[in-house]
Amino acid sequence: MSLFEWCQWLQHTRFATAISESDYLFPLIEGSHILALPLSVGMIVILDLRLLGIAFCDGPAGKLVLNLLRWCKIGFAVMFLTGGLLFITQAGKAYGNVFFRAKLISLLLLGINAAAYQKLFFPKMAMWDSASGAPAGAKLCAGVSLLLWIGVIVCGRTMAYQF
Amino acid sequence: MALLLLLLQSWSDWGPFVFVRDSKYGMPLVQSFHLMGLTILLATVLLLNLRLAGLGMNDYGLSWLARQLKPWTLGAFAVVISSGLLMFFATPGKYLGSRPFRLKMALLCLALLFHFGVVRRFTAADSAARSRRVDVIVACLSLTLWFGVGWAGRAIAFVP
Repeated sequence: MSLFEWCQWLQHTRFATAISESDYLFPLIEGSHILALPLSVGMIVILDLRLLGIAFCDGPAGKLVLNLLRWCKIGFAVMFLTGGLLFITQAGKAYGNVFFRAKLISLLLLGINAAAYQKLFFPKMAMWDSASGAPAGAKLCAGVSLLLWIGVIVCGRTMAYQF
Repeated sequence: MALLLLLLQSWSDWGPFVFVRDSKYGMPLVQSFHLMGLTILLATVLLLNLRLAGLGMNDYGLSWLARQLKPWTLGAFAVVISSGLLMFFATPGKYLGSRPFRLKMALLCLALLFHFGVVRRFTAADSAARSRRVDVIVACLSLTLWFGVGWAGRAIAFVP
């Protein structure tokens, strides 16, 4: 079975059709996916703005990370759960969609970007935090993150218009 | 109502409205801006109310946080309102008779009144000491109103 065939099979399972044919399940899942944006992406954007030195600059960035992380994790848990369910109901249509593919690639790049930040800059955060500000590399990570999240939102909204 | 719709439709021939209504990517693009504004607006409202309720951002002072968030709340609100107006004037027929849209506007008015009338006073530097319970109730009300606006907005696509 090819990946495309698998996607089509997935979309036509009883579980998937039960969601997409329900009067309230699909709107409820889609609404949750959108309204979890502030709790997930919103928190990351605030952190990115802090690293870039644009907002919330009184006080160390490390403190902000600790304060945001718990809520951010809940936000992304909701995002991946609802996003996965939405994908199941539309898998066959999503497979070949260029905006869906761009969204997935952006999410992959965001994961790599976050892992790079975690490995390269996070361990020494306490050192540069009290000094002048984030090093250029950390700022680059923050800038890349901002741009990619904008791309994810635009692609996510646009792909729904093509189904 | 029919007259109002006619008037609004006569405006909707203006270039930007035509772009939003008739081009392939106009509407998704404007909605993307609406969602980006929503992300920042609700993120700032969420952080402020979580702090008010004592559930998050507890390493920061309440009034300090309120001051830091304010320009981002207002800026994001400007983005949400302008993209929303653009959608409304481009396709007024979709919204005028819509019950969820009316609910959304009513909730938006309440959310704004509550934010500037109550939440802003509760998060001001010189606000009087209160019991924790009152803070939690105010935060819950504020979040219910703001996220209610979002849910009603989403319902426009599904409910007549």
